[in-house]
Amino acid sequence: MGSTKELARRSTVAVAAAFAALALALGLSACGDDTVGGGGNNDEVTVAKGGPVKGELTISNWPGYIDPGSKGTIAEFEKETGVSVNYIEDINSNDGFFGKLQPQLEQGESGGRSIFVVADYMAEQMYDLGYLQEIDHADLPTVFKSILPSLESPAFDPERKFSVPWQGGMTGIWVDTAKAPEIKSVNDLFDPKYKGKVTMLEELRETPALVMLAEGVDPAEASAEQWLNAIDKIKAAADSGQIRKFTGNEYTEDLTAGNIVAAIGWSGDASIIENENAEWRMPTEGCTQWMENMVIPVGASNTPAAIGWMNFVYRPEVAVDITNYVEYISPVQGVKELLEKRGSELAESEIVFPTEEFTSKCTGQNTPPDLERVNEAWQDVLTG
Amino acid sequence: MSWKQRLVPYWLLGPGLLWLILFFVVPMYFMGELALRTGTLTTGFTFNWEWANFPDSLSGNTEQIGRSFVYAGTATLLALLIAYPLAYAIAFRAGRFKLLLLFAVIAPFFTTYLIRTIAWKTILSDSSPVVSVLQTLALVPPDGRVLATSGAVIAGLTYNFLPFMILPLYANLERLDLRLVEAAKDLYSSSRQAFLKVTLPLTMPGIVAGVLLTFIPAFGDYINAQILGGTQQAMVGNVIQSLYLTQRDYPEAAALSFLMMALILAVVTVYIRFAGTGAFMGDEEERA
Repeated sequence: MGSTKELARRSTVAVAAAFAALALALGLSACGDDTVGGGGNNDEVTVAKGGPVKGELTISNWPGYIDPGSKGTIAEFEKETGVSVNYIEDINSNDGFFGKLQPQLEQGESGGRSIFVVADYMAEQMYDLGYLQEIDHADLPTVFKSILPSLESPAFDPERKFSVPWQGGMTGIWVDTAKAPEIKSVNDLFDPKYKGKVTMLEELRETPALVMLAEGVDPAEASAEQWLNAIDKIKAAADSGQIRKFTGNEYTEDLTAGNIVAAIGWSGDASIIENENAEWRMPTEGCTQWMENMVIPVGASNTPAAIGWMNFVYRPEVAVDITNYVEYISPVQGVKELLEKRGSELAESEIVFPTEEFTSKCTGQNTPPDLERVNEAWQDVLTG
Repeated sequence: MSWKQRLVPYWLLGPGLLWLILFFVVPMYFMGELALRTGTLTTGFTFNWEWANFPDSLSGNTEQIGRSFVYAGTATLLALLIAYPLAYAIAFRAGRFKLLLLFAVIAPFFTTYLIRTIAWKTILSDSSPVVSVLQTLALVPPDGRVLATSGAVIAGLTYNFLPFMILPLYANLERLDLRLVEAAKDLYSSSRQAFLKVTLPLTMPGIVAGVLLTFIPAFGDYINAQILGGTQQAMVGNVIQSLYLTQRDYPEAAALSFLMMALILAVVTVYIRFAGTGAFMGDEEERA
């Protein structure tokens, strides 16, 4: 008995000593350099180096955004240039990816990656924090020969100094037409009939924005209160069990498995949903539209190959293969004509080549006012 | 004894101590320091003894903390109920299949944790045979589901941490001196009495170790809730993940992690006191 008590006493002393040491160390650190983070490498923007395209190239992208097969776009690039491409599909949400990489980017490293693909607002945020390199237009002749004129000067990067569009798309509703053919509006997703059979995206700029649109509120003009109202409505639906789950790309699995009848989702995901009844629909009150961009992070190990890749995917004959596989909106001119020449049905698709009329009610990806408060409320919903 | 000889135990402690300092004390220090900073990602985080981070990190998250206790506790209990008979059977009844069965317990580790959990997502999907069997048995309502419910998360936790319960129990049962059980029976105890008065107390160290090894990781787990849960199953691990990776509120995330560690430490201390330090330390003389 005595030995046990002695042991317990000794471990208590040891724990106390450890905490004392910790407290002491904390006290010492208070005297030292006391700020971490905060866009430390902001002042020295580097320009990505061009040059001969060779070596190894690591690209981070979203799932289902390219044909990874042995006759796909990556294989073609490797064959032509001799570059060995390490293509990783590790982006599931803009915020999640940023959160994962931020500590490395802050140190001027990109974890070996030379290209990321992120949404406009995320590219802007990364650039503002000094995490991206600029790209000399002289190095991107094919890109600027082929890019759609409407994409040459976006508000977030008017001179396209640090971003090159990859693919664009729309966020709307995926419907399993065999189970819920009548769903047409985001409001229908709140119908108790579909309780537990609906998923929504985790992205702040998508789900609450679509709910606002459905209620007749323009997300581009909405106040913080209106964002919070939409978030409250979603929270109530989540609490009641109406919404099954908040997802990134995983909603495609739930649609494939037949777990859900409808989801808020991305227009081009037909290539990764194995359910022939699944159909992307433009919500009656409009969609959100977005463009995702290739960017070169600080610490990119092979910028010449990254630039080579950008030029490569802007060749119309390469871009048409990408479109054919991913079914998103291409930023490259002439894709539609090439598809028509091939006799592909995609040339007629409003999802791949949306007309202005088709997207007349759509909005961009808007950042809410009072972002921190709105985002906190949104994260509270996600971690119900 | 020369001073050199006296130093030997410390040299022997060296590698372990170095390991602890490098992988426990140093990270703890950085986390503790981070927990006392304020700021945002864009302005940077400044160290200024911000103790308010601790109460702040709890506000609005008590539900998830409670849920973590319930889920981890239930999973631990279920794991114990499954593991004890299994470990007992392997130790005493398996005969020449002993090694094979032990291998079967460890075999799932050859696949990564993540893949195994995702596999459960397929197994439990709404139209899967498993779910229709459960529906036929009326364990799940006809239009009900398993995936994206608390049940799925608890099942996932139980499954994933079960080997951590089985192995210490097995190690303990294997060493059990069966002559003591025989002696109890010779003294006219029933099988039940012999189990309750002899086997169970003697295997307490295994139970305590198994419970700790299961409960602690299950409490902090977020993968099961994320993959198998729905909108109402988030555990405290999911909150910490969201604070770190999505909201980038590093100080609050660090503060919450610290508090959870303290909480677990307190619970474990109480538990060990209750179960007896001797049982934890494997101090069998105390009981014998």
